[in-house]
Amino acid sequence: MTTPNWSQRQGILVWRRRTSKTLTYFALAVVTVIMLYPFWLMGQMSFRSLNQYYLGKGFSLTTWHDLFAALPIGHELLNSTLITLSSILVILAVSTTGGYALGKLQYRLSGVVFLIIISAMMVPMQSMIIPEFVNLARLGFINHYYGAILVYSALGAPFATFLMTTYFRRLPEDVIEASLIDGLGYGSVFFRIMLPLALPAIATVAVLQFIQIWDDLLVGLLFLQTPAHRTITVGLETIPAQHFQDFPMEMAGSLVSALPAVIVFLIFQRYLVRGLTMGMSK
Amino acid sequence: MTSQEAAARLPRVRRRARRSPLVAQRRRMGILFTLPVAFLIGSLLLIPIGQTFYYSFTNWDGFTSHWIGFTAYTNLFHNPEFVTVLENNAVMLLALPISIVLPLAVAFLLNTQLRGWRIFRSVFFLPTAVSWVVIAFVARRFFDPDKQGILRSLLDHTGLGFWHPDLLAHEHSALIAVMITFIWSVFGTNMIIFLAGMSTIDQEIYDAAKVDGAGSFTVMVRITFPLIKRFVQFAFIISLITAFSALFSLIIVMTNGGPGYGSTTLEFFIYEQAFTENNFGVAATAGVVLFVLVFTVSMVQLRLLRSDD
Repeated sequence: MTTPNWSQRQGILVWRRRTSKTLTYFALAVVTVIMLYPFWLMGQMSFRSLNQYYLGKGFSLTTWHDLFAALPIGHELLNSTLITLSSILVILAVSTTGGYALGKLQYRLSGVVFLIIISAMMVPMQSMIIPEFVNLARLGFINHYYGAILVYSALGAPFATFLMTTYFRRLPEDVIEASLIDGLGYGSVFFRIMLPLALPAIATVAVLQFIQIWDDLLVGLLFLQTPAHRTITVGLETIPAQHFQDFPMEMAGSLVSALPAVIVFLIFQRYLVRGLTMGMSK
Repeated sequence: MTSQEAAARLPRVRRRARRSPLVAQRRRMGILFTLPVAFLIGSLLLIPIGQTFYYSFTNWDGFTSHWIGFTAYTNLFHNPEFVTVLENNAVMLLALPISIVLPLAVAFLLNTQLRGWRIFRSVFFLPTAVSWVVIAFVARRFFDPDKQGILRSLLDHTGLGFWHPDLLAHEHSALIAVMITFIWSVFGTNMIIFLAGMSTIDQEIYDAAKVDGAGSFTVMVRITFPLIKRFVQFAFIISLITAFSALFSLIIVMTNGGPGYGSTTLEFFIYEQAFTENNFGVAATAGVVLFVLVFTVSMVQLRLLRSDD
């Protein structure tokens, strides 16, 4: 029951630090397994035939072969790419111009417009999608790329414009004034000065929207019903109906559909992080 | 008195002095540059939500509609299926504390910036990139009651083989499976929000606490947590909005709302009423209920963010 001397105390401290470090790494390893397991499962199952899946062992390329034979994967990937990129372009066009107008030009009613855009951000998709569908069906926009592109753009525009507005607002006013003195108009200030300065925000919007639109099911399901226009996510959702209980094929399809978004994520991760936390700025 | 007057007059004088072609151009450009986004949002978001409000008082079938007024709402709230749906949404709320606490704990661990923390951060954040459809397919394999099911083989290998729950097959447990999947999916997003919050804390505060002899647990509870409270609120509300309005794809693939109405939440009910039952009016009424819920929660969030300013 004597109090430990100095070196003993140091020993206890080192020991405690080591155990806590080991425990931390153990916990992180467990979480890593939980987070990565689905990816491993998809990979492993996709390289088994249905029989091998039930046996629980084996390796085969049958599933991959069947997947490309049964589904127009290439075409669906192309549709997804076309729709996603077009929607991002529309969103960027309206959100950069709108953000510049609301953040830097600030005319008499711009505050009201900004409030309306913030409110539009809070409309849940399911609450407006039915009249949207009926409206666009009346206009004959269903089963055309542009119908889905318009809907995706409208859904993404409010948050993108909000982000752009707050971004432009933080840019120093002197930049504009200096350019105006140099004889540029407000229009050319936007194209020559503001747009290049906004590149980080543009990247953030593009990455956020890419993942959102690429991964979406509902809009594709409603507005692109013909197989020729299907996106990869919608195509994936139809696998169980066409190949009942072919689980390896579901996993192979999942892997194909997830890959592009995962690659974009891995490359542009930091922009995504910024976009998520920028939602907190006023 | 005079100085006040002068101060009040100053902006007006200045404005008049600057009323040059440039000021007019600025206004014109401002309005012109707002038009595209205003047109897009107005025609494809605001008009449809207005229509939802209008049709919520009718017995719309997609083509014709008759005004039935508030009867639409009383009917809806007397509909036992709808009551089940609301209960399901309430049950979903139970997943929220877990979806906050787990990533918060892991964020604390990563925030010590131990070796390799960036890699862990990327790995845990990765599911954010994966679509709900993919997640739902994997979740089905996880909860599969057959020999190949992941949960089942996990239980078998840990000596719990006598217990083989089939969560997806029962009306009162399917939603639990959806909630577990939801917690897994939002883990990374919430962790990133917390880490962003923790990175705003000055290192000096930690150093001061260490000098005062505070242990890492004390630091976590007394210093880190209070300083990132704003971020926790933000994550909570984002998760709530996700739980209420972003799980459609997960539910349609994982359970299709069933068994019965066991895993039908409000957003799924709207889709189902409109596109499988052709009750567009009922869907619109439920759409207004969802809108009011989500809108109120979002407003609370804005208030919280502003009040801490």
